[in-house]
Amino acid sequence: MRRSIALRLAVMFALAAIAGFALIGVALHQVLGAELARHRRGEVQGRLDDVRYMLEHGRSAELAQRTKEKIRTLTDTAEARTRYWMWSEDPLWRYGEDAQQVAAMALEHRNVVDLPVGPQGRTMSVLGADLPANDIRPAVRLVIGVDGYSYDRTLRKFEIALVIFTIAGAAIVATLGYWIARVGLTPLVQMSADAQRIGPNNPGQRLRLPELPPELFRLGTSFNAALDRLDSAYHQLETFNADVAHELRTPLANLIGQTQVTLGRERGASEMREVLQSNLEELERLRAIVADMLFLARAEQGERAHRLVEASIAGEVEKTVEFLDILLDEAGLTVGVSGDAVAPIETSLFRRALTNLLQNAIQHSQPGARIDVKVTSEPSQATVAVSNPAVAIAPEQLARLFDRFYRGDASRRNSDESHGLGLSIVKAIAAMHRGSVFARSEDGRVTVGFSVALRH
Amino acid sequence: MKVLIVEDERKTADYLYQGLTEQGCAVDVAYDGIDGQHMALHYDFDVIVLDVMLPGLDGMGILHSLRAVKNTPVIMLTARDGVDDRVRGLRAGADDYLVKPFSFMELLARLQALTRRGRAQEPTLLRVGSLSVDLIGRKAMRDGQRIDLTAKEFALLTVLARRQGEILSKTQIAELVWDMNFDSNTNVVEVAIKRLRAKIDVPFGRHLLHTIRGMGYVLEERGDADATLGDSPGED
Repeated sequence: MRRSIALRLAVMFALAAIAGFALIGVALHQVLGAELARHRRGEVQGRLDDVRYMLEHGRSAELAQRTKEKIRTLTDTAEARTRYWMWSEDPLWRYGEDAQQVAAMALEHRNVVDLPVGPQGRTMSVLGADLPANDIRPAVRLVIGVDGYSYDRTLRKFEIALVIFTIAGAAIVATLGYWIARVGLTPLVQMSADAQRIGPNNPGQRLRLPELPPELFRLGTSFNAALDRLDSAYHQLETFNADVAHELRTPLANLIGQTQVTLGRERGASEMREVLQSNLEELERLRAIVADMLFLARAEQGERAHRLVEASIAGEVEKTVEFLDILLDEAGLTVGVSGDAVAPIETSLFRRALTNLLQNAIQHSQPGARIDVKVTSEPSQATVAVSNPAVAIAPEQLARLFDRFYRGDASRRNSDESHGLGLSIVKAIAAMHRGSVFARSEDGRVTVGFSVALRH
Repeated sequence: MKVLIVEDERKTADYLYQGLTEQGCAVDVAYDGIDGQHMALHYDFDVIVLDVMLPGLDGMGILHSLRAVKNTPVIMLTARDGVDDRVRGLRAGADDYLVKPFSFMELLARLQALTRRGRAQEPTLLRVGSLSVDLIGRKAMRDGQRIDLTAKEFALLTVLARRQGEILSKTQIAELVWDMNFDSNTNVVEVAIKRLRAKIDVPFGRHLLHTIRGMGYVLEERGDADATLGDSPGED
């Protein structure tokens, strides 16, 4: 089984949250980093300008001494975060270790630059200035270094907070998402509970559709429709079994009863023969039913007609009509054949289907009526339609006409003559030729027919 | 006619034996595949009735080894009605097949058809008692009177006269006269026989065309007691 939908949704929510937070975090980090850098440059510039102003504008004779004192004061208060260097040709105007080298490095750049000039080689933001000589002092190079440690620490702390908040946020979103998904999926839980209640003992049970949200409504509808179809197939099978049992029961009961009665007393040979003959008739009926059922079963298992020959459908109709001529004559009916088509058919099967169709028409026609057989050729199939004047048949009965053992007018038909498989055999034969059956009732005529495919 | 029956179902084998013996055949029975193969290969039969499902060696196996040495006509009996069985049987060299449940009449007819193949030219004038059928002139006479028949009635009479004394089932008649080789539920044959009888029997007072209830019809001259009109057993 796949992972639960709620869990998957929670994981996806969490990933989305991480992505979102990370994006915002990176942007904030950029902004903060730029702002801090600007601020640092400002501080460096400001502190440089403090001393520079003094050097440029100081008029005191002890300017060098005063400047050094000021630098000391400044560095003391700034907790060693700031260092100054001063270098000049005149040793009096020198301050700080390695002042000449630092000044040379700093003055290569015009702006603030990071150089490893702090205590223990720590990086400092450094800015230098070249002050030309004036009447009081010689040319002096002034350099300031500010330790960026506090700025860096702020940025680091911000980064750590960002990571922690992102993870915590994602966790919260995942938990909330899981909960939301669970709540959102409750209709599914209800649906599956409903589905679990469906079983052979309560086949009428269905999913409760009005309680389903629109997203699940269609699934529920198709599920219910599938159940309906299964139900009707199941029901059909059940009635079919009952029908088979019934069809076989009557001849079997006759056989058993008649044999028992006959054996109950001494009988002469001719009487015995009489009974055997009658039994044989019943047995023949049983055999015919079994043979037809086997035929239908074969067709249902997908057997196809295999001895196919290209034949004229109208020609086959003529031959079948000729076969049934005597019955038509007895019933006082005439047959008109129109149209033609050439199709690959297995002639014995095809004639059997035609015989059943015509016989069906004969049985349901009044004397003097005319049976019409119409053959039509379509691009992919040929159809035969047999119609006879008859009282209209209700649509639901038309649909069941091809069902096995279905008798639309059970009372009128003689079960000795047909056992209700005639039209289902037509359907089977049509299927064996990759065709289908149809039945219509219109304008006082009932039309029943079938089609066969032109290409196999 | 010498017939070999290879069938493991005792009841089936026994009634086939009795039925065929009473029809004047010399019948041997094998109850399993091994015996069946031995007999089929070592003795000569006019026709072999072979069940497909057999203990020891199945019908296909027997057919296979038989066809390797001789061409004795074989009719297969299949219980499974799958097309595979039939196609396989025919491909393996069977001459015909019957699907259980089959009627004895049907089997008899098929056996006769298989052994009749290649028979000498048939006579052109058939006689059954006082009835004569002229196949060339296409006319029937009884007691010197010309009988007026339709084409189909003549065809029906010819089929019956050619096999006089032989019981023909309705399915056989439908096939031979109308070329309808399937089990139809129609009563076409009954009605046709009734009509034919009204022309060839009724005006002459003695029956030649008899109904064998549950089996079919036979055209033959019978003894007086059997043939008097209105007293024929099993008359519909």
